[in-house]
Amino acid sequence: MSGYKEIALRDSCFRPGSTLCPGCMEATTFQNVGRVTDNGKKTIVTIGTSCAEVSTMAFPDVVAWGRGEEPPDDFSRSFSIIHNVFESAPTLAESVRDMSDVLTEYGALKYPVQVMATSGDGGALAIGLRSLLHTIHRRTRVTILVLVNEIFANTGFQFSPATTPFAETSTTPVGAAQPGNPSSPLDYIHLAIAAGAQLVAQVSPSHSKLFVKTMERAFACTEGTAVVFVPAPCISGWKFDDGQAIHIGELGAQVGAYPMFVWERGKGGSVKDCPQAAADRPRLEDFLGTQRRFHHLVMPDPERGGFVTRTGQEETMVRLKEWTQKNVERLYGLAELK
Amino acid sequence: MTPETHVAPTRPEPHRPTATGEMYPQAIDLDVVRAAHKAQYEQREEIIADGNVAAAIAALQMWRAVIFPGFPITPSTKWIETVASRIAGDAANRKRVKLLEAEHAVADYMVGAAASCRDLIVATATSSVGLDHMTETTRSLGASGLGNVMIVDVYRATANFPLCIEGDPSDTLAHRDDGFIQVCARGKQQIYDTMLQMPCLGMHPDVLTPTMPGYYGIKDSHRSGRLLVEADRDVHAWQDEWIVPCPLPGLINGDTAFGNCVTSRHFQGFKWSQKERLARVLDLLPEIGRSFEKKFGRPGLAYYDEVGFPEDGRVDVAVVGMGPDFGTFEFLRPAFADSRSVSVAGVAMRLLTPFPRAALRDRLAGAKVVLVVNQAHHSGRGHLTLDVVDALSDLDQPPVVVSAFAGMGGANVSEETWEAMLDHARLALAGHRLPPYALFHEGVRT
Repeated sequence: MSGYKEIALRDSCFRPGSTLCPGCMEATTFQNVGRVTDNGKKTIVTIGTSCAEVSTMAFPDVVAWGRGEEPPDDFSRSFSIIHNVFESAPTLAESVRDMSDVLTEYGALKYPVQVMATSGDGGALAIGLRSLLHTIHRRTRVTILVLVNEIFANTGFQFSPATTPFAETSTTPVGAAQPGNPSSPLDYIHLAIAAGAQLVAQVSPSHSKLFVKTMERAFACTEGTAVVFVPAPCISGWKFDDGQAIHIGELGAQVGAYPMFVWERGKGGSVKDCPQAAADRPRLEDFLGTQRRFHHLVMPDPERGGFVTRTGQEETMVRLKEWTQKNVERLYGLAELK
Repeated sequence: MTPETHVAPTRPEPHRPTATGEMYPQAIDLDVVRAAHKAQYEQREEIIADGNVAAAIAALQMWRAVIFPGFPITPSTKWIETVASRIAGDAANRKRVKLLEAEHAVADYMVGAAASCRDLIVATATSSVGLDHMTETTRSLGASGLGNVMIVDVYRATANFPLCIEGDPSDTLAHRDDGFIQVCARGKQQIYDTMLQMPCLGMHPDVLTPTMPGYYGIKDSHRSGRLLVEADRDVHAWQDEWIVPCPLPGLINGDTAFGNCVTSRHFQGFKWSQKERLARVLDLLPEIGRSFEKKFGRPGLAYYDEVGFPEDGRVDVAVVGMGPDFGTFEFLRPAFADSRSVSVAGVAMRLLTPFPRAALRDRLAGAKVVLVVNQAHHSGRGHLTLDVVDALSDLDQPPVVVSAFAGMGGANVSEETWEAMLDHARLALAGHRLPPYALFHEGVRT
């Protein structure tokens, strides 16, 4: 494993000039992952339809990918990327992996290739769940990055299977008959483990060292698929001011909305920076208050600062806290699996 | 040796710019792949095979085909089983069968595999609703420039209410606009020969368009007959004359991007280019067909097979059809012509997309009546009819076009049905005005 500082000085394959929102967690994620991949192996990325795709692969004005200002002389630093349809990034990654492996077995390719698929949660957990789980199940040696912003952000901030309960989305609006999203999120971490993943993690650049080291472990997996779910607070969809993504990413993990979790087959895992007891964690209300998607539930507390539950929303808040506690306990339970 | 044990290269690779990114030509040594090929046949042999086996053997004989993605196919078509069986039976064979969870996944997989190395052929087979399930990605593939993709379509109807597995070209004709080069083959030998030629067409640098060879379900896919297979080395020698290294980079040997989100101006230019590349097929297909015939002594790719046209092309009735039922027409044609005192000729379409309208126009220009036999469901007068009418529209005095539907749902087009259709066409010859189309089944007009 490389040192964190050494990785931070590498050349990222994610270039300036994307049209992602300023301060978007996806851009931060790609910048960091891009540095991890500058490791002497040729990098190939497959990307599903998403904000990340339409905002980074615009042509001819901007293609925000590639290593260096010019195509590198060193083949191992070259970079390729492919987008096909919404749901296909894992399958594409698998096919690239297979073709690379077959050519290597033949002796026709003498250079190592690393492959990463990236999708949003809509692409990976809704329309693309088949692709995700079967690529994992076949123990494909690729890294799958799922940017979980809990919505279909690119198409208008609609509900996804990863949406937090009671969050307002454009298709689960808040009204007298419905307090936002009525359903619990898909247990995608457990699904990935059950499908046979070698490494499963939930970590974002808000926990920067852990994120970079986890990505390095993911790319080093040799026995199967590494799946990294990246909680990705969405400025436009979660409705907060730019510059807050890293803070909200960290706070959400600490309160138990999406705890940092790293697990490896045969070794087990752990939950990071999120105590199992609710009393030991920051208040959930203070996390919800940072985003207007939850403003029907909380309001600023003029007396002590922070946020409190709105009058009339007490029962909903109790249910949301119950879900959050189950979410934390679920991950502690999964960490025990070997 | 796994990729992880490689030592990273220390010397820079020579590289050069292309229209779609930087290319590192020496990254993949294709000669090694070619040399590692395990021959299916060391010499020309006559075997007994059905259409699926013929198509599978051809795919296995290509040294450029190293990965065969597949799904069990709905309804069943045993192309992938044949490929898997032959690979499993040879411990030295490094080719791989890749089993995926759905036809859509197969199509997606083909995108990535073909884009990874544009000099290797990625082939699969499908049918009916399986092809429909691929559609989201086949439409992307059609525009992808990945001429090294080949989807074998075993023609069947696509309705599931009710389901039927008989041969009916509704599936392939519903995919005329996917962007693939579509060629129909009939008979085991033509299926095998077509398979060998299609990559030469699709991978030509002027074309770079995926191909969809096809043949009728059951009638050709499951019925066995004599098949002459060539020695692998002869197949390779001939294909290598046509298939040159792709001028554009792939994911592995390039610093490139596929599937970008482009501005309208570039998209418009791209679609124009796609159309031009497809049009280039019309020039190259006959050349490849002639080259094949010269090498192997059998007819190669052609726009259509024809029967009964005199030198001046003048006939009373010219038939346009496709598929194995055309053989029944060929059989009864002389007797029918004698008994009715009319001259009758016909063409069995092979190149479906792009449609060879100019060549067909010239072939049919001397006919008084053109009888078009459609075997697939269509919202109007029939897929073939509309194309034939369009082709003939260039003529000052085009022949009368009579449209018929027969053999729908995979029904055999019997001699009685052919005679009924031809008699129907004779009415037009006698000056009768006929309805836009007529349906024929088991010898009678319905």
